[in-house]
Formats: sequence, C-alpha cells, structure tokens
Amino acid sequence: MPTYAYILVSLALFFVGAAGVLLRRNVLIVLMSVELQLAAGTLALLSFSRALGDQKGHVFAFFVMALAAAEAAVGLAIVVSVFRTRRTASLDEVNGLKG
Amino acid sequence: MNLTAHSASMAETIAFAILSAGVLAGGLLTITRRNPVSAVMSLVLTFAALAGLFATLSAHFLAVLQILVYAGAIMVLFVFVVMMVNREESTPIARQGLCTRAVGVLAAGYVFYRVAWLVGHERGMPLLAASATPPVKDFGTVSSVGALLFSDFLFPFEAISLLLLVAVIGGVMLTRHVREDRPSRVS
Amino acid sequence: MPSELRIIPLLPLLGAAYLILFGRRHSRKAVHRIACLAVGAAFLVSVDVFFFWFPMLVQSDGLTDLVGTWFASGDLQVDLALRMDGLSGLMCLVVSFVGTLIHVYSTGYMAHDKDYVRFFAYLNLFCGAMLLLVLGDSLPVMFIGWEGVGLCSYLLIGFWYGEAANASAGKKAFITNRVGDLGFLIGMFLLFRAAGTLDIPVLVDTARAGSPTLTATLWWGQPVAFWAALFLFMGAVGKSAQIPLYVWLPDAMAGPTPVSALIHAATMVTAGVYMVARLGALYLLAPAALAIVAGVGALTAVFAAVVALGQNDFKKVLAYSTISQLGFMFVGVGTGNFAGGVFHLFTHAFFKAGLFLCAGSVMHAMAGSGDISRMGGLAHKLPWTTWVFRVCGLAICGVPIFSGFFSKDAIVARAFATAVFGPRLHWIGPTVGAGLLAAALGTAFYMSRLYYLVFTGECRADLHTREHLHESPVAMLGPMLVLGLGALLAGVVGLPSAVSRSHGDLVGHWLTDSVGPALEVSSGLQWRVMAISTVIALAGIGLAWQFFGGGVREPARRFVTAWPHLTAAVRGKFFVDEIYNWLVVRPLRGLSRVFFLVVDRILIDQLLVGGWTVLVDTAGRLLRLVQVGDVQRYLAIFAIGLAALVYVMARPAAPSEVKIRIEGHSAVVELGDGAADKLDYGFDFDGDGLDDRSGAAASANWVYPQPGHYQLRVRITDPRWNTSRTIERTIDIQ
Repeated sequence: MPTYAYILVSLALFFVGAAGVLLRRNVLIVLMSVELQLAAGTLALLSFSRALGDQKGHVFAFFVMALAAAEAAVGLAIVVSVFRTRRTASLDEVNGLKG
Repeated sequence: MNLTAHSASMAETIAFAILSAGVLAGGLLTITRRNPVSAVMSLVLTFAALAGLFATLSAHFLAVLQILVYAGAIMVLFVFVVMMVNREESTPIARQGLCTRAVGVLAAGYVFYRVAWLVGHERGMPLLAASATPPVKDFGTVSSVGALLFSDFLFPFEAISLLLLVAVIGGVMLTRHVREDRPSRVS
Repeated sequence: MPSELRIIPLLPLLGAAYLILFGRRHSRKAVHRIACLAVGAAFLVSVDVFFFWFPMLVQSDGLTDLVGTWFASGDLQVDLALRMDGLSGLMCLVVSFVGTLIHVYSTGYMAHDKDYVRFFAYLNLFCGAMLLLVLGDSLPVMFIGWEGVGLCSYLLIGFWYGEAANASAGKKAFITNRVGDLGFLIGMFLLFRAAGTLDIPVLVDTARAGSPTLTATLWWGQPVAFWAALFLFMGAVGKSAQIPLYVWLPDAMAGPTPVSALIHAATMVTAGVYMVARLGALYLLAPAALAIVAGVGALTAVFAAVVALGQNDFKKVLAYSTISQLGFMFVGVGTGNFAGGVFHLFTHAFFKAGLFLCAGSVMHAMAGSGDISRMGGLAHKLPWTTWVFRVCGLAICGVPIFSGFFSKDAIVARAFATAVFGPRLHWIGPTVGAGLLAAALGTAFYMSRLYYLVFTGECRADLHTREHLHESPVAMLGPMLVLGLGALLAGVVGLPSAVSRSHGDLVGHWLTDSVGPALEVSSGLQWRVMAISTVIALAGIGLAWQFFGGGVREPARRFVTAWPHLTAAVRGKFFVDEIYNWLVVRPLRGLSRVFFLVVDRILIDQLLVGGWTVLVDTAGRLLRLVQVGDVQRYLAIFAIGLAALVYVMARPAAPSEVKIRIEGHSAVVELGDGAADKLDYGFDFDGDGLDDRSGAAASANWVYPQPGHYQLRVRITDPRWNTSRTIERTIDIQ
C-alpha cells in the first residue's frame, strides 16, 4: 500500500485520540487516548521509514514506545496517588492549580 | 511476474483494509466506552491491529514489541489501575467548560482535515507514493534495528533506559503508602 | 622653570586632606599647628619664589610650572600648569599672608568650638583652592580653584549647620554663585570656539594682537570678545557679589567671623576682580563690556554704601561695605585701570580683614552678639581692638596717608582720565568717578557711624554681658595688629606719581607685563582728586559725628522722623531679597511644584510606575480567567492554536489552480495557491511537447499566430522532493 494510506490512518487515529483526551472525564480513558495518539505517531514514523528505506524511523518508534511505557507508569501512579487522597478519578474534579 | 505482484498487492490491500479498520474501530471504541475495562479491551484490539499494520510495513521487530509492550505489559498495568480506582461515572463527559473543549475538538478535526487534504493533494510525491518494501537487507528485523540501536543510537538508548528507571522510581514514590505515625519524607 | 610653584597650593591642600582624614586623632594644639604651618609654609614659599625671581616675574611672562597634561580632547588640550607673574604673585602673597594671619586668629576665636578640626580643614582647603585659582595658567585650572573656593565658602558659611538659617545662607551663596558660574562656563566655551585655546597667556597675547578671531562679530553686532568678556564678567558678578548677584554676601556673615574676614572680604570675593584683571587685554578689545563692568561696579559701590548706612549688625555693615569696595575695584578694572583695581584689592585685603577681625574680637567680647544697638563705649574695655579699628576705619574712609586713601584715589583719578571707552562712551569715565566719590562719602559716614555706635558713648549692653567684656587673647590680637599695620602702610607700594615721582605707583610697574601699562594721570588731576576725596572723607566722618557721636543723637532721630520711608527702605536693604523672592524664587518654586505634580506625580509615578503595575495587574486578572485548572481546557486551547498554525502554514507544495485568460490572440496563464517560490515551471502552449516558457515564474503568456484549438500543458517540478505534476487544458483561440 502507498505510504499516504498509512499516513491517513495515522492521522485519523491521532484525531480519535485527541477527541478522547479533550472530551472524556475519566482520567484512565484520557490516558488511554494519549496512548492512542502516541501509537498514531509511531505508525507515521514507521510508514515514512519504509518510504525512505531508512531504519532510523524504527529506532525512533522504539524510543516512542519506551517513552509511552514510562509515561503510562508515571501517569498511572499519579492517578493512583490522586485517587487515594481525593477519592476521584475524574479529571474535572482535579483542578486545584488555578488562578 | 506481473500477476504475482498484482495479487500480492491485492492481498496487501485487503490486509491493510482490515487492519486499519480494526485500528480505527478499536480507537473509537476505546474513547466511547463508559466502562474502563471495556475501553482497555478495545485498546488491546487497537494495538493488536496496529501491530499487524506494522508488520505490513516490514517493521517486524516493532510489531512484536507492540504486542509485547503495549498489548501486554502496559495494558496489564492499565487493568490493574482500573481495578484499583474503578468508579462508575454518571456522566462520561464533564459539563464544565464543554464549549471550550468542543471547540478544541473541532479545531483538532480541522487539523486532521487540513493535513489529510494536503496528504491527498500531494500523494503524487515519491515519499507519499512509495508502496514497496525498500531494497534494504533485513529491513525492520530485530538484528538490523538492534545493530542500529547499539551503534549509532547507543547514547539515546542508554538515556531512554535511564528514563525508564526514573519512571519506575517515580511510580514507586508516588504510590507508596505514607504511614500516619511516621512523618512523610515526601512533602 | 621652578617646580616649587606647585608646592604653594599643594601645601594647604595636603593640610586639608590630612586634617580631614586623620585630624581627629590629634589634639587641638596639633590641629591648629598643622593648619597654620601648611598655610604659613605656603606663604613662605610664595615669598621665596616671588622675591627670588622678582626681576623675571615683573619683566617677562612670569614663571610657569607645568605639572602635566590634565586632559586632551580633540583640539582642546588643557595642561595642569601654574604660572606666577606680577599679578598672580601679588595675589598669591596677599592670599597666603592674610590666610596665615587668619589661621592664627582662628586658633583664638574658635578655641571653644567643638568642630575645631573640620574648621581648620576647610580653611586649609580654601587657601589651597584660592591659590590654585590665582596661579592657574588656564581658564579650566582657574575654574577648579573658582569652584573650590565656592565649595569652601558654602561649607564655611554653613559651618554651624545646626541652625537652619546658617545652612540656608550657605545654600544661597552656593546657588547664587552657580548662576554666575554658568556665565563663566559660557564665556570659556565662547573663547575656546573663537580662539581654540583656554591658556590664559595665549588668550592674552591673542587679545593684545587684536586678532580677528576675537574681534569678529558674533551676535547683535558685537564682537566675540564682548560676549566672552560679558559672560566671564557674569561669573565675576556672582563670585564678587556685584549687582544683581550680591545678595548672598550679607547672608554669608552667618559663618564664623574669621571666615568672613578671609573668604568674604579679603580673598575669595576679589577673585572676580582678579579674573577681569587677568584677562584685561580681552576686555580692552570690548569697550562696551568694560563700560558694563565699570557701570555695575559704580552702581554697586553706591548702592551698597547706602544700604550699609542702615544696618544694625556689625558684620552686615562690613558685608555691605565689602560689596561697595568690590564695586570700587570693578570700577578700577572697568576703566582699564587694572593695576589700580588690583591695588585697591591689595589694600582692601588688609583693612577689611582687619575690620572683620575687630568685629570678631568685639563679638567675642559680646558673647557672640553683633547687634551694634546693644554696644557702645567699648573703647575702654577693648583698647587694642579699638586702635586697630580706628586705623582700618580711617583707611577705608580714605583719610590721607592711610592705604585706602591712595588706592581709592588711584581708581577715582584714572576713572576721570580714562580713554578706554572711546569717544562715544567717554562720559562713562567721569560718571563712574563721580559715583565713586558719592560712595566714598557714604563709606566714610557708615564706617564712622559704626565706630561711634560701638566704641564711644555709654554701653547699652545688659549687665551680664557688660561684666563679661574682655580684650581678646594674643592669638587674636597679633594678627589684628599686623593687619592694622598693613592697613596703615600698604599704600606705599602705590603712591601717586604726583606725590613721589621716583617711587610712585610701584604696583603699576610690577603689573605692567601682566595687565599692560598704567594710565599716566596729570599731577593736577591727582592733586584735585586727593583734595576732594580728603574733604569728602572728613565730611563723612564729621556728619557721622553729628548724628552718632557717642550714641544716637538728636539729628539722627530727626532724620528718621523726617524721612520714615527712606530709612525703612535703607534698613530693609531696599527689599532686594524680597523682590528676588517674588521674581525668582517663587516662580521657580511654582514651576518646580508644577513639574513635581505633572511630571513626577502624574507622568512618572502614576503613568510610568503605576501604569505598568495597572497594566500587569489587569493582564494578570484577565489571564487568571484562562487559568481554570482544567487540563482538558488547556489542551483544547492548545488544539485551537495548533489549528490556527496549520491554517496559516499548511500549504500544498504545488499549485492546484490554473487560471487562463485569453485576450485576442494571446493567452496568459497564472498558477495560484502554493509555495510558488520553491518550484520550477514549464509551460507548453502549443502542444508540441516542448516547453515554450520555463523558470521559477508562476505565470507566462504566449501569442498564438493563428486561431484554432490548442493543447496547453503546464509542468510543475518540485526540486525538494523531485516531484513533478502536469496539468493539461485545451484552449480555443478565435
């Protein structure tokens, strides 16, 4: 398949992730949406890597994956910690940092 | 020769269609599920389909990693946390600031539309039109990507391992139980 | 050339520096020894240099001591150089001699003051600055001294700064002097612009040669020399307390009496006269400027003499007397009689310093009070002081054989005889001469009034003060006696040529090379002036005896009742201070207030300072509304921003539109919408497969030779991606 088809899928997936991040109240689903966006980026990286015949894209995809793992670990830890102190997993109820 | 190429392309097209449909459907399911457990399962579906797409891109190593790390490890982590903090929410979308966020979604939609239009418009350029696996030996295999990781990208590789270590320590610190009778060392 | 010249100002300056830095470690005795030694040594060095090099001093340009280049900027090079010639040598002797005497006097007068060290440090500093002023070889060096003495004057007038009146008197002196200093600076700038130098000898030579650089017309038909001279004279007016800037000098009496004697009578206030004499050649180029100098001098002499008649404070009388005598000196230099002006300066230094020291002695006895209406009959209690006062008083009154007689007559006689003003302004000489004679009458009268009210008749002081009356200690009497002797004898260096042809007018001879030859006056005129001025002096003294002999007498009381307004005006010093207050101080204060309110309060405080805080505060309040604490809304705004960025930036690389305009036989093709400047275009208008136009231009035109259908093909190449696209159209040409 031509590369642009993969890119379109990647874009669509990224948009879906963005919509999830912006709309959902549950902090876990927001985190999952972030994972979707990261996966969309990985897909674009791999597509262009193939088009260019350059495996550096694979390396970066690998890094993105590692980053996503780290993000998930810390993000979920924060969720647990917040839930423990405030008994909530809703993003709109965690808004202490405001002017 | 011509025929085999065509039929291979045919099979590839079908595989691509199924897999990308799986990815998008899984993504949509993920963000629409009310129950987080369902969302996690949809995410597993998405990632599995995505691993298939990676395979069609000759990214065998990354496809395997996708399954192992994402669909495996990270999803398990999610499931655990879902178990810990699961609260049924009455309203999946917060009312407060809905207008701003709706505009934000529209803006994201515009970005998607605009970039997609550009990609469609410029699909003739070689970068976007390329459709075959590049003539590189062992493209996307564990050995060739691994060789790259341990040669040219050794420093970033070590840096990212350090990042993971920091994330692990951070996760432990954040979720540690602070006992009431002992003063907290994390303030 | 002798380098000991630099020692003369350096000694007192070092003394001042030492006293300021380490004076507190020493006993009073050591302090005044250091101070007196510094000035005394300066005097001795002056004497040594002056008399050792005397023939050279008076017959050539004098001695120069070049310390080094002070600064050089463009065409301007100013050397830190000192010069001693006849004029500056004489001044140097006067300053260091009187300075030494007054240092000695101060050891007695200030014996009980707690700020002993500070006083002597300032006095030393003053002497150093004054000597620098006198010896400075260029106008900027002179200006250091000029400003230095101004500073010391300020410091010493406000020496007892605990009282607000003293502090404000110091400020008044300083500010009034600044007005004049501005003139001095402008004069300096004018001279530099015209002559390209500020070295006094060069300037004087240029002026003597009548160089066109100085005689060229500058403004209003007057030459450069006139304006420079006028502005420099403005400086002199400030420093030497002439109308209209004299107002600071009476107030300056707030300082300790030795200061009044040294700074505000004998030395600093004569700096203006000295400066005009120094640049005499320049003034001679501009008779109009000389006329102004003489006119201002005469007016001041008369005016101050009149005001002195009505003052009841010992030192105030002497202050107005000083102003009046400075007027005499300015008439001297203003009639081209520079030697005469300097001669009067010389004798005045003795008798006026002597009078001030007497005042100090009297006030010392009277527990600090200078009110002459509370004095009287002090001759018995203070015999030495009385004698010194008599001698100095007779000298200032102009009684024959006393020094003031000769110096005053040298000015008056030459004022009548002078020809420097030219035919058109010739009337000025006799007019100012007559004015001086009138001032001399006033002088004799107020001086005698002062004497009679203080030293004769019954004592009007209260009992306590009367019991306390005592003659001053030797440290004070010694300098007074020396000055009295000087007041008696100083005239011998300037005897009129009519009196002694061989030894007449020595000062004039000494100064010939510095200020030009003195005017020869016929013996007949000299004798006539001497006779008239003797009569005037005796008349003034006699009239004062009638009014005030042994206390205020009946004629004086009758005069006051007959002329109440006149006496009130004289006693009120013609209300000049009040007029200045209305004309200058109040408008200035009002203007300052306006600036304070408009510029400072509103513009700076409210708009610039407050405005920013309001701006930042408002911006903060507004941004606070955005800061809702909801991560999703932040992300939404981020997405909106990203959309805007994409809207602006995301353009297709290759154009998608083709516009074709057909005008008759020609066709114009324009491609729009895209990053056109990065692309290469090829236009094939007639369908033959070859590019008819190519290049980076996104439009092309073509004229078809005949009508028909044509295949138009546009090929767009993007060299960045090596992509090309072909757009085809069919066009109809009628």
